[in-house]
Amino acid sequence: MSVDQKPVGAAGEDRTQAAPEQEGADRSFGSRLGASAAVQWLERYSLLVLLIVIVAFFGFIWMQTASTFMQLANFQNIVRSQTVLAVLALGAIVPLVCGQFDLSIGNVAGMASVFTAAVFARWHVPLPVGIAIGIALGTLAGAVNGAVVTRLGVSSFIATLGSAAVITGIVNWYTQGLSIIQGIPAQLTVFGGGNWFGIPSPFYVVAVAALLVYYLLEHTPYGRNLHAVGSNVESARLVGLGIPRIVFLSFVVSGAAAGLGGVLLVADSGAGNPSVGSSFTLTALTAAFLGATSVKPGRFNVVGTLLAIFFLATAITGLTFAGVQDYINDLFTGFALVLAVGISVLLSRRRLGGSR
Amino acid sequence: MADEAVALGLSGLSKTFPGTRALAGVDLDLRPGEIHALVGGNGSGKSTLIKILAGVYQADPGGVIEVAGRVAAAADQWSPRDAFAAGLRFVHQNPGIFLDLTVAENIAVGAGFPTGPAGSIRWRELRARTDALIERYHLRAAPDQPLRLLRPADRTMVAIARALQDRERNQHGILVLDEPTTSLPAADVDLLLDALRRYAAGGLTILYVSHRIDEVLSLADRVSVLRDGSLVGTVAAADTTEAGVVAMIVGRRLEAGRGRDRAVGAGRAVLEARGLSGGPVRGVDLTLREGEVLGLAGLLGAGQSELLRVLFGALPAASGELLVEGIARRFAGPADAMAAGIGYVPSERGVEALFPSMTVRENVSAGSVARYFRGLRLRHDEESRDVVAAMREFLIRAPSDVAPAFTLSGGNQQKLVLARWLRRRPRILLLDEPTQGVDVGSRQEIYTLLHRAAESGTAAIVVSSDFGELERLCHRVAVMRRGRLVAELRAPDIDEHRLTEIAHLSEEVA
Repeated sequence: MSVDQKPVGAAGEDRTQAAPEQEGADRSFGSRLGASAAVQWLERYSLLVLLIVIVAFFGFIWMQTASTFMQLANFQNIVRSQTVLAVLALGAIVPLVCGQFDLSIGNVAGMASVFTAAVFARWHVPLPVGIAIGIALGTLAGAVNGAVVTRLGVSSFIATLGSAAVITGIVNWYTQGLSIIQGIPAQLTVFGGGNWFGIPSPFYVVAVAALLVYYLLEHTPYGRNLHAVGSNVESARLVGLGIPRIVFLSFVVSGAAAGLGGVLLVADSGAGNPSVGSSFTLTALTAAFLGATSVKPGRFNVVGTLLAIFFLATAITGLTFAGVQDYINDLFTGFALVLAVGISVLLSRRRLGGSR
Repeated sequence: MADEAVALGLSGLSKTFPGTRALAGVDLDLRPGEIHALVGGNGSGKSTLIKILAGVYQADPGGVIEVAGRVAAAADQWSPRDAFAAGLRFVHQNPGIFLDLTVAENIAVGAGFPTGPAGSIRWRELRARTDALIERYHLRAAPDQPLRLLRPADRTMVAIARALQDRERNQHGILVLDEPTTSLPAADVDLLLDALRRYAAGGLTILYVSHRIDEVLSLADRVSVLRDGSLVGTVAAADTTEAGVVAMIVGRRLEAGRGRDRAVGAGRAVLEARGLSGGPVRGVDLTLREGEVLGLAGLLGAGQSELLRVLFGALPAASGELLVEGIARRFAGPADAMAAGIGYVPSERGVEALFPSMTVRENVSAGSVARYFRGLRLRHDEESRDVVAAMREFLIRAPSDVAPAFTLSGGNQQKLVLARWLRRRPRILLLDEPTQGVDVGSRQEIYTLLHRAAESGTAAIVVSSDFGELERLCHRVAVMRRGRLVAELRAPDIDEHRLTEIAHLSEEVA
C-alpha cells in the first residue's frame, strides 16, 4: 500500500492499461494529456473568447457595422439593457445549483415592478420604502414557491410554472393591463438612465448582486450544501443536511433577486408595465445554462452567467446593427439555450466516458 | 435419470470467470410437473446457473442443456432465444411489473398488445386474454384493476402469468423463479406458495431458487444444493430436514474459529438498544462497547441494513429505546444521530454516499463544512490542508484534492466516504457492506482503517454478506433473521460456516 504518485488523468486504479510498447504508450498518453488540457482551457474560457470574437467581428471586420458598433454609447446601451436580466439570472442560478427550476422569476419581477410603481403613484412613499416593498414582494413570492415545493412536494417545474401564471393574473387584475407611469420618483429614473464613471449606474447594482451570489455559493456552508443537494440528494440527506430548508431558501433568494430586478425595471423604464415580466424568464435561464458550460464547466456559476448575458446581448445587438430584424432575438436565444444544454450534456458524457 | 421423463436436464455445466470458477460440472434434472428447489449460500453459484439457463451468460464448453428430451444443445451456445424457444420462462426477484398499469396492460407489456389494422389496441381482445389467464392462474384480480390495488402475492402471480401466457395448458412450460418471496410479507408468502403448488399440479415444472430452507421444504418435491459452484446433492424434500439441508449448504467443515483473540470485554457501553423496532426490524436488543467491532450477519433482506438506518435516524424507529453513552435518544433524522457522534457508511456508495460531480475535498468535508466558516467566509486553504492530510491518513489515492470524485476508482471512492466519517472521530460508526465493489488492495486498507479506528476507541457495527469478512474483522457477530437478532458468536468462535448455518435455520438455535 505505497502511496505512489499517479499522473494526472490516470486516477482510476482499476484502469490498469497494459502498455506493450512502452514508448508508443507514453507518446499517446502525452498527446492525450496535451489535447485534454487544451480542451479544458477552451471549455473554461469559451464564452470570453466568443465575446471577444463577436466584438471584434462587428467592430472591425464587418464593414457595415464597424463605424457605429465601436462607440462607447453602444456598449453603455448594451450594459444598461441587460441589468434587469443579469439580476434575474444571478438569482435563478441559486435554485438551479440544488437542482430546482424557478420558472417564475420573470413574472415575479414584473409583479414587483408594477407594485413598486403603484406604491409610489398611490401613496407617494419615500424611495427606500418603495424599493424595500418591491424586494419584499419578490421575496414573498419566492417563499411561496419554496413552500409549495418543499411542503407539498410539488416539482419545482410545475410549482413555479403555476405561480408564474397566478402572478400574471394578479398583475393584470390590478392594473387592468395598463402601465403605471405617474408618480415614479425622479431620483429612481435618473439613477436608471445615468452613468457613474462612464458605466451605467444600474450596473453597480448588478455587480453587488453578483458578489453576493458568488459569496453565497462559494464562501458559505449554505452554498456548499446547495451544491451537495444538487449533486446527490440521497447522499446529502445521509450526511445530515436538511434538504427542505436548503431548497426553500434557494427559492427565497431567487425571489428576492427577482424583486430587485423588478425595482431596476422601474428605474430603467420609468414605469410599471404589466406585460414585460414573463419575457425575462427564458433568457435568464438560457444565460444560466450557457454560463454553466464555461468558467467552471458543469457548474452554474456567477462569472459564466454574466459572460453569457453579455455574449448574447452583444451578438444580438451586432446582428440588429447589421440590419437583421427583431425576430433574431428569439431565434438566437432559443438556439443558444438548446446548444448550451446540448454541449454541457456532451461534455459531461465525455468526462464520464473518459474516466470509466 | 434414464428411466424418468426429463423436463429439463443439465449436465456438466461449468462457468469460469477470470480468477474464479463459479460453477464446476453441475448435473441437474427436473421432472415434468415437479417443483425443484435450488439452494445454496452466498456465492454458491445459484445465480450463475440461472443466468446460464437464461442465456445471459455462456457456459464453458462441454456442458449440455436438454429440454423435455427434444432440444439438446451445447451449453456454451445457449442463447436467450434458445431459452425462450425451449419454453423456459423466468420471473426474477424484482419481477418487472408496473404498479400503475392495469392487470391487462401488465400482461400485454412484453408480449405485445393485440392491435387492429391501424395499430390501435384491441382492448376487448386483450381483456378476454387477460380473463383467461386470470382463470388459469387463479389470480384474485380483474383485468382493469391497477396492480397497486392487488396483494403483493397476486402481483407476483401476475408476473408469472405474464411469463407463461403463451404456454397452452402449461405444456412443456418450465418456470424459473428467483427468490420470489424475499420482499413479500409472511401472509403473502403462503398465498404464493399455494398458487405454485396448484400450478405444478396442473403440469408446470418449476425451478425454485431460494435461501429460505423452511419454505423450500414445504414447497418442493426435491431439493438440490450448491456449494462453491458444485452440486452437493439432490434429495427428496420428504426425506430430509432443515438441519440436513443446512449441513449440505455449509459443508462439514465446521472447525474452531480461526480468528485471533479479539475479545473486548469490559469496555464502556456506547450504544444500547432495547426492543428497537422500525421498518422490518423487530425488537432488537443490543449493546455496543467502546472500541468494539460488531458484525451483523444474515440473509439478504433479514433487516441488517434497515437496523443500521434506524440507528442512524434515516429510518424512523417505531418503538423501543436507544441509549447513546447512557443518554436516551430519539433521532428525527441523520443530523441528530451525527450530533450524538454516530456516522454511517451506506452500502450503495454511488447512490447514497458520493457526490460524484464534486471534488474530493468537497466530498470529504460534506456535512462538516461549517467548521471552516469563520470571519464570514469559508477558509478554503485550511479545508484543503485538512483534506490533503486526510487523504494521506486514510490512504486515498487521487491526483489532487480538487479532482472530481467520479474519476476515482471504487476503492478510493469508498475510502473517501470512510474518511468523511473517520476524520470526525465518531464514537460509533455504522458500515453497510464496506468492501462491496472494492478491489483486493483497497479491501485490505479498509480493514486496516477500521482496526485503527477501533483501537482509538470508535465502536463499529459492520453489515456484510461476506461472512468470511465478518470472521476476520469482528469481535462479535450477531445474526439477524426476519428482522430479529437470533444468535451471537464471539471471537475466537466466529466462524463463517457457522454463521451461514445460523442464518439459514428457521428455528432458534442454542
